[in-house]
Amino acid sequence: MKIICVIPAWNEAKHIVRVIDKVKPLVNDVIVVDDHSTDNTSELAKNAGAFVLRHPINRGQGASLQTGSDQALKMGADIIVHFDADDQFAATEIPEVIAPLLKQEADVVFGSRFLGKKSNLPFSKKYLILPLGRLINHLLGAHTSDPQSGFRAYTKEVAHSFRIENNEMAHCSEILIKLSQGKWRIKEVPITVTYHEYGQKFSGGLRILKDLFIQKIRQ
Amino acid sequence: MFQQAIALIFIAIFIWRLFQQKKHKQIGNNEFILWLSFWSLGALAIIFIRFLDQVLVSVGFSGSGINFLLYLAVISLFYFVFKLRLKLSKLEKNLTDLVREITLK
Repeated sequence: MKIICVIPAWNEAKHIVRVIDKVKPLVNDVIVVDDHSTDNTSELAKNAGAFVLRHPINRGQGASLQTGSDQALKMGADIIVHFDADDQFAATEIPEVIAPLLKQEADVVFGSRFLGKKSNLPFSKKYLILPLGRLINHLLGAHTSDPQSGFRAYTKEVAHSFRIENNEMAHCSEILIKLSQGKWRIKEVPITVTYHEYGQKFSGGLRILKDLFIQKIRQ
Repeated sequence: MFQQAIALIFIAIFIWRLFQQKKHKQIGNNEFILWLSFWSLGALAIIFIRFLDQVLVSVGFSGSGINFLLYLAVISLFYFVFKLRLKLSKLEKNLTDLVREITLK
């Protein structure tokens, strides 16, 4: 089984080497998609041993993930892992996330911050933003405990079956909704997230809603 | 009556254009249904304008036609802004596809 980890990165010079060093021993290949950073993310990632792709202009995290997933399929991936470049996820949990795929118990695995393991989630995120996100996803057909998890893994068959169309942060909900509507066996695995900064705010949540609505109309 | 006929002719032209766009696959199903509903409702509002005037009066608005035209103008502006957003969204998608193709070469 060839396991490839895709890491979208934009101005992540501060974290990227540490993240690659942690992820690399656990997978066969690491693809870093540099979304036109203005710092030296690309050079650092290359020197750390990752396969690096660089967007000629900035297109957003969702777009970078799709570019990375396309490259992973070209490189013969059987399992694709999506992982963040900001060092908030625990790389040691990659084996736990891909285990249900290796045992053929699931086709898609989503990491969840709400299944037991302790994450230092900011209060407003835990009790306002994420519950609202969960409700919206639920209405749109995705019933997972974590509405915005960026730590996920799926098989090559799943990767061939759908495209990430939302360039920005709505891609998390988009992936959840698209895969929930498919024939795929979905499993959630508890993960730990260490927040270094707040991340997505309430205004970001509203932007996600707008992007999902525009995408729905465009279909 | 004359103004109503002119407005209906314009709406008929827009609906014809919509069907042409659908035929040439320039718009998706959802977008087609959205605009078809929009223009159909507009046409119905014009056909039943007198009834609409009575309804507007009964809920406390002025019954004059010019007010109704103003409401229509605001709705039309919303329509054009929303249409621009959709167009922008399609351009963004095309741009991302192009960037991806260049990146993966």
